[in-house]
Amino acid sequence: MTAPMAEYTCLIVEDSPMMRQLLVFALARVKNLRVTEADDGVDGLRKLASARFDIIVTDINMPIMDGLKLVKRVRSDPVHKDTPIVIITTEGSQEDRQRALQLGANAYITKPIQAPQVIATVKELLKID
Amino acid sequence: MSDDKDPLRTDSQPPDLNREREELLRSFPRSGKLAEEIVMELDGMRKRIAELELHNARLRARLEEDDAIHQLIERIETLEAEKRELLHRNERAQAESEIFHERFAQVEGEFSNMANLFVASNQLHSSMSPRRVTRRIKEVLAQLVGAERYCMYLATPGGHELVPVASEGVGSHDLKPLPTDDSRIGEAYRTDAAVFDENADPSQGTVDDPAVVIPLSIDEKVVGAIAVFSTLSQKTCFTTIDFELFKLLGQHAAAALVSASLYVQAGQKLPGLEAFLDLSV
Repeated sequence: MTAPMAEYTCLIVEDSPMMRQLLVFALARVKNLRVTEADDGVDGLRKLASARFDIIVTDINMPIMDGLKLVKRVRSDPVHKDTPIVIITTEGSQEDRQRALQLGANAYITKPIQAPQVIATVKELLKID
Repeated sequence: MSDDKDPLRTDSQPPDLNREREELLRSFPRSGKLAEEIVMELDGMRKRIAELELHNARLRARLEEDDAIHQLIERIETLEAEKRELLHRNERAQAESEIFHERFAQVEGEFSNMANLFVASNQLHSSMSPRRVTRRIKEVLAQLVGAERYCMYLATPGGHELVPVASEGVGSHDLKPLPTDDSRIGEAYRTDAAVFDENADPSQGTVDDPAVVIPLSIDEKVVGAIAVFSTLSQKTCFTTIDFELFKLLGQHAAAALVSASLYVQAGQKLPGLEAFLDLSV
């Protein structure tokens, strides 16, 4: 009898339904990864308060609460302070990247995304082979 | 009787027994010495034989050792051959693994492209609100293509002008109707073919020199164009999937937009079943 495979949970915070759908499609390629979607930062926080997530993938430019504020809030949350965060954004400048990483993001991917890159980043942060 | 000879009497002189005795006595020590010498020589020979036997035994042992070494050498050669074979197999396996990884990456890339096209198509046709359709067209351009500044034009009924209907990142002074017989945007409209410079960096495009212009068609009739003036700074070239997305937008964007507009004009009423009864060809 083999031990059950570990199951990982991922929260996608993205206001664009198209990008969310694309990210869900991409991350469906990661074995044993269960994905939950949130429309913006506030919705993301709500979902983080109700469940434990192993990784967060978030956009920066979103209404109500942007991705950088979400990163700050997550890093001060005792439950998710060590949860890896992947930023996916159109902001391609070095300053934006630095700012996000300084705030506590673990990876920074610029749009337009390549699904294999997103998959590889998530796998690396979750330490999945 | 006096002549009778004594049978024991000889004419020869009697042996000098004393001398013979002396000689005999003298010869005894010599014989003893000789015997001693013989015995010594025999001992020497025995020793020599023992030495030779020992040497022989050593040589035999060495020969046996040589055989063992020979066998070991043969074994090493066999193992070396096996090692070479295993290395060769390993190299072949690595080469196959690399090919497999390349093919896997290709398949993943293809899957990613298919997912992009599916999502774009799905999103374009998932709404019957002209505003939402326009937003989805803009999302395809911004999120999937990486366009930073762009504008969608529709042609006037006479087809003489292209009127901007939706845009992003473009100043209002640049948003004006364009004659279809002039400019690169008009060229895409007239020729029904995408206009772009494959060697140019699309992030450096301008309003006067757009990175790409895509004609928009409905049922093989060109009704407008999308001009991507420039892309995000990190998007420095167009790839195969971008051109697939352009093709998809060209064939679906205007249709989705016009369908949504007609639906709104019809008061969001679905046509009755009778409208679909004679569709079989």
